[in-house]
Amino acid sequence: MDELELLKKHWKTTTDSDQKLSAKQLYPMLLKKSSSIVKTLFYISIAELVFWILINFLPMLSSSYLKELDQIYGNNLAIVLLSVVTFSVVIVFVYLLYKAYKNISITDNTKQLMASILKTRKIVKYYVIYNLSMIFLSVPISLYFTSQNDSELHDKIIHFTTSQTIVFYLITFVLTGICVLIFWLFYKLIYGILLKRLNKNYLELKKLEM
Amino acid sequence: MNKELEHSFIELLEEHQNIVHKVCRLYTNNYDAHNDLFQEITIQLWKAYPKFRGDSKFSTWMYRVGLNTAITLYRKSKRRVKTQEFDAVQFKIKAEDYDNTEEQQLKLLYEAVYQLDDINKALVFLYLEDKNYKEISDTLGISEVNARVKMNRVKTKLKTILNP
Repeated sequence: MDELELLKKHWKTTTDSDQKLSAKQLYPMLLKKSSSIVKTLFYISIAELVFWILINFLPMLSSSYLKELDQIYGNNLAIVLLSVVTFSVVIVFVYLLYKAYKNISITDNTKQLMASILKTRKIVKYYVIYNLSMIFLSVPISLYFTSQNDSELHDKIIHFTTSQTIVFYLITFVLTGICVLIFWLFYKLIYGILLKRLNKNYLELKKLEM
Repeated sequence: MNKELEHSFIELLEEHQNIVHKVCRLYTNNYDAHNDLFQEITIQLWKAYPKFRGDSKFSTWMYRVGLNTAITLYRKSKRRVKTQEFDAVQFKIKAEDYDNTEEQQLKLLYEAVYQLDDINKALVFLYLEDKNYKEISDTLGISEVNARVKMNRVKTKLKTILNP
């Protein structure tokens, strides 16, 4: 007999009668909470959104910070513009994330389901990249504006030689870069662990179609 | 959710629960993990049930949700199968139904299936459940030709394991 036929014959005659559950045992299962990867991913993405929203907007609540901003950038228009852009970006990401989660359906075929989950993760990834890029750019820019408006700092910088100025900005860039990189690696680690198996299986299915 | 819906769902699940048990048997290797996965599949089935239109059979729909949960959503990695922990008892091979060679072959075959990756396991599972290549390709989202090619590779792999 063909090996798989032997296996099939056995497989079909085997029932899990000893594990058969009655309706009474099945009912309570409907009330239990899911511990699926989508749920975990959902909580993590919400936490990330909240984290970055707080980072962006909490300082705005402080009047001394706003005063400082006003001093640095000279006029209110820049702050208003910055807030509008930041707020719009958050709304766009929340909308995209909501849409992506709505698209995840357990009744899709396996490949489609995996693609939908990975797409959701990508949206969060872009949001994090956006925020990290903003940090990377805003630190040297704000330092520049501060040096222009803060007379104490301005006096110090004005006495720098060209090479000292270059080194000063280079150090600022490198330090900000390191902070951003640490953030990025931490983020990659979390998702790497969480989605390792899913990524592997998705690649396996994609490989089949090549 | 109304009681009527709950009642009809439980009735169907009770009738077809063997499908879920079989998925659990293939993707887990102990009693706790089996129950864990069974629970998760039940939740996913229940969550998706209001959208079940009945244009496919309940059992066909269960295969898809069951496998998707086992392959994609289930994440209790600590309890997941480790190949060296294959337990023949779980597969209920009764000595009186098979001669010595067959019994030995069955043990080897199950062990080999157990060592397959998640996707290949799903292929074998659907094949053992007598699903045709159209259904297999629909469930996994690959083409029929590729399902056939992949299945043939798995068959050859299993043959080699039995006849090294």
